Parts: sequence; structure tokens; C-alpha cells
Amino acid sequence: MQNPYIPYPVEVIKIVNEVDTKDIKTFRFAFVNKEDEEKYKYIPGQFGELSIFGKGESPIGIASSPTQPGYVEFTVQKAGVVTSALHEMEEGTRMGLRGPMGNSWPIEFLEGKNIVIVGGGFAFTTLRSLINYMIYGENRKRFGKITVVYGARNPGLLIYKEELEAWGQRDDIDLNVTVDKGDSTWKGREGFVPTVCKEVAPSSENAVTVICGPPIMIRFTLPVFFDLGFSKENIITSLEMRMKCGIGKCGRCNVGSKYVCKDGPVFSLAELDKLTKEY
Amino acid sequence: MEKRLIKKDALTGIIGKIAVDTTVYAPVKVEDNVLFKVLEKGDEPLVTFANSKNAPKNFFFPRSEVMLRYTRTTKGMEFSGGEKEAGEAVLFGVRPCDARSFVLLDMLFDQEKYKDPYYIDKRQKTTIVSLACAHPPYATCFCTSVDGHPVSSAGADVLLVDLGDQYLAEFITAKGEKLLKYFGDAKADAAADQKKEAIAAQAEKEIKSHIPAKAIKPILDVNFEHPFWNTIYQKCLACGTCTFLCPTCHCFDITDEMKYGDGRRLRNWDSCMFPMFTKETSGHNPRTSQKERWRQRTMHKFKYYVDNFNAISCVGCGRCVMYCPVNIDIRKIVEDISKL
Repeated sequence: MQNPYIPYPVEVIKIVNEVDTKDIKTFRFAFVNKEDEEKYKYIPGQFGELSIFGKGESPIGIASSPTQPGYVEFTVQKAGVVTSALHEMEEGTRMGLRGPMGNSWPIEFLEGKNIVIVGGGFAFTTLRSLINYMIYGENRKRFGKITVVYGARNPGLLIYKEELEAWGQRDDIDLNVTVDKGDSTWKGREGFVPTVCKEVAPSSENAVTVICGPPIMIRFTLPVFFDLGFSKENIITSLEMRMKCGIGKCGRCNVGSKYVCKDGPVFSLAELDKLTKEY
Repeated sequence: MEKRLIKKDALTGIIGKIAVDTTVYAPVKVEDNVLFKVLEKGDEPLVTFANSKNAPKNFFFPRSEVMLRYTRTTKGMEFSGGEKEAGEAVLFGVRPCDARSFVLLDMLFDQEKYKDPYYIDKRQKTTIVSLACAHPPYATCFCTSVDGHPVSSAGADVLLVDLGDQYLAEFITAKGEKLLKYFGDAKADAAADQKKEAIAAQAEKEIKSHIPAKAIKPILDVNFEHPFWNTIYQKCLACGTCTFLCPTCHCFDITDEMKYGDGRRLRNWDSCMFPMFTKETSGHNPRTSQKERWRQRTMHKFKYYVDNFNAISCVGCGRCVMYCPVNIDIRKIVEDISKL
């Protein structure tokens, strides 16, 4: 019996400082034992438990795409005990990783449809995984038009800047990056995510919206998509709750009868409507 | 099924013999409490007692358990998984309500996809000898309201029934049959079976507390928001006694502790009654007050567990009713919900 509580040993092989405030970093991990990478087969939208011995564990969405072999990436904000310890780490440090956990973005459901990705602030990590998955090589053909709306409070808080640049060069993604307020060097769009969604106005015809961001952004963005004719079945998001085990046993991340760790974290709005509003 | 009859005064001797060959956990008197503990030489196991203060779940799901250990080395942290595997054991004197809790806990810890190796290892290696309640001991016993019975063998490998002058031993499972050799060769006859049936019927009658536990599921389905929830939590001290004594409560926390370069990761019992249980790093807490926590506890036992496993997560042992310091009574809560 594989023990799901025992982490795989991993080594931090690359750390990227994502934002000006230096409190969001992307950590790239390589598996110490190559065979563990085979076992860590994941799908965009899943998460892992970052495991730091002596500190604890933290559940974080996987930011890399399975189309990027050799490593797994997590973008982490410095917040509590574990993530603070993680932020102190240097390349070459060894730690643990559990997972992959949870369901995933519904890839099969998304296939053949136009995809609208809406992200706000630092909640863009598993969306990045999904975008990189969809645009990878032959995968691109399996999806229709891809529209991305991504916003942050200011230019310095946009994450994955190099990738945004690269996606902007492609003609098979409609990329709309926005900031609430620009600075002297900012040449891009200004405006809140809901407003930009309204301006971009993606068609709801054979389309699915995948949305992640702060609650306030989601609250104001959803009506825009309802107005565009998106049904609740076709708006998909990901929940967060306090977690420990990650496999539906420790009993704290349930919303109604569903455990966010194993039945989620991904739910459609139609599914969320059936759950209690306790998250 | 193999059945044996033994003389009443032979039972402690039989347990003693088993304890020579294998580890036996049995109820013993510790100060004013009846507690399960490892039977050591000279210990006298109780065969007549009401029920243990603690539920025996801790033998499979300990209050505190090492999940892995680690050491700081020059190359970083080296870690090794888990405790050494558990040995064979016999858990003697489990009341039918508590034995049934293992069936309910199996549903959670031994699922198709996500298995809990710590629990399963100990569970598989332990033989459970139940002691039927010929006379249910407490006014707060309500096992029959939650699919249990004072003479039920659910969850037991061996069931002992007090027939008055002797015990009937039923060897329910193959694991239980391995204990046959200790129980002599007096096979039980049809008369013993009849006596058992009569005792079971009488025991059932002696359960005076009945609650509509199975009827409230459809009411809970549609009353997540209801003023009723404002009425039950106010006197709750959030002490967690109910969850710690509960045979079916399974929530746990995982924590790390480290000293001088050596550390371990533990899982400890946790409780949905505690404010920190769901509090996130950001400060956000989806269950903001004791009201939401009481709703969670009630819903988890009588609705969510039913949704997920088609079983109520309560065995009717009555411990939470007996030991709540402010007398919150789950039976009253269930009764009141049935009238919503």
C-alpha cells in the first residue's frame, strides 16, 4: 500500500521572484528519485502538499503543466509558517512534496470549446498550468479560441511576466493583460478585470469560462459572464480551504458533503449552487 | 459459524491465556474510570462494567501518532516513513456500539481510492472481542436509534453474550476463529441460541432512549440556513469533550515538531468544535462562530456521512451526552430537528 502521507523527496532547482514586493516566488522542484516523477502524474488544476520537515505542510496549486517534464512548479505567496520557511530556501535545498491531489480542470469537457480564462492577482497559477497545457504543440488543436483576461493591482504585481510576453506574441491566444493602475512605464491596459471582461466580451457560444481570483473580483466578474450568456455549467472555478491530509480524511475542508481536497478543488458554478455557502 | 459455551468464571482466565500469547487491550479500572489498556501481568480485566470512558478507537487511530521522522544532516533533511508496523493484538470487551464504530471508521479510512495505512495496518492486525449488553447500562444509551443493537455483532470478530450462568461465544469472522482454541470445546446448542434471542429482545426493550436519527436527513438537506441553529450552540464551551470521547469522530491535525535536529510529523486528534480548525492563514474562517461549528458537527454525523457512506456517523453510545460539561444533548438536538 502506497502511503499517501509520505512525501516524495524533491530538490529546489530554480526560484523566480515574481513580483516587486518579493513575497510571491515560483519554486521549481525536481524529484530526487527519478521514478517518483513517473508517479507524480498530474493534470492542470490539481494541487500538491509542499512539505517542509520541522515546519509542516501547505496545499498549493500546481503552476507548471504536465507538458513540461523534469520538474514541477508552485507559485507561493509568503504568508504562514510553511510558506515563510519556503521563501527562505535557496536553490539546492531538499524538501518534500505530496500529491498530486484533487480533481482538475475538466480537460475533456473543455476540449472542442472556446476557452475564456479569467485570472486576478496571484490566483493565476493553475490557470497558467492550464494555458501552457492547451497551447502545447498538438494540444492546441483540441481547443477552440483561447481568450485570457489577467489583471493585477499594478504592473509590479503581475506574475509570469516573461510568459505573458511570449503568449502576447502568439496569434492563437487573445491575451488581455490589465492593471488597476499603471505606472510611468506601463503601456498596457488599465482597468479592473470585470470591466475588461465586459470590453473583451467573449462570445458564450460553445464557450467555457475558467475563473480564479480574489472573491471581490469574482463577485463583480460573474454578472458580466451571465450577461454574455454563459450558463452556470460553463463557468468553472477552484476553491480553497484549510487542509491537512489532502485526501478527505482529516475532516476540515468540507463544504457540505464535499471535500474540497478530493471532490474539488474545481467546481462549476452549477455544482457550487448545490453546496452550502460555507467557504 | 462456530459457537462455544464457557463458564462465567472462566472468562478472565481465558483472557489471561490470550494475553500470554499476544497483546490484549482490555477494560480495567483506573481510579474511578474504566479505561482500555494493555493487559499486563497481574492486571485483572473487567468483565462486568458499564462501558469504558474513552471509546476504543484510539487503538487504530491513536490520539497522537507519528507519521514520519526526520533528521537534519549536512545534505538536508533525511526522513523515514512512519512508525514500525503494529503487531497482532486482541481488543477485548468492546461494547456493540463501539464495535460498530469501527465499521463506520472503515468507510472513511479504508476507501477504494484513498487508504490510510496507519489505521488499516492496526485494524487488520487486531481481533475484536465484543461483550454484548445483556442489560444496556445507561439511560443515555440509544444504539437502536442509529442502526445498532445491544447484542449486535457488527464490527466484532467474536461476540460474547452473557446468558446468565455462562457466556455464549460466537466466532463471527475467520480472524475471530483463531481464538477458538482458548474457548474450550463445549459447543453451543439450540437452547443457547434461543436464550440469546430472548436476551437480545429483552436488552432491546431496556433501551429507553429513542431518537428519530434516521428521519432527520431530509430535514437537514434543506435546512442548512435555519434559525434553529442559533439556539443550540450558545452554552457550548468549545471544549471538544464530545468529539474526543466520540467513537466515530475522526478529524485530525498534522503537525511537525523538532528538537536539536531531530523531528517528527504527528497526527493528533482535532475537533470541529475548535475555532482554529478551519481558520486559514489569511485570517478568513468559513465557520466563524460556534453556531457554524455545531451545525457542522450535527450535519457531519446525520447528513454528510449519510450522503457519502450511506450511514449515520453515530453509534448511540451516549458519551457526548453524559460528559458534556454544559449538558448539550445530541438526542434533544435530533429530536428538535425532526420537528422543524
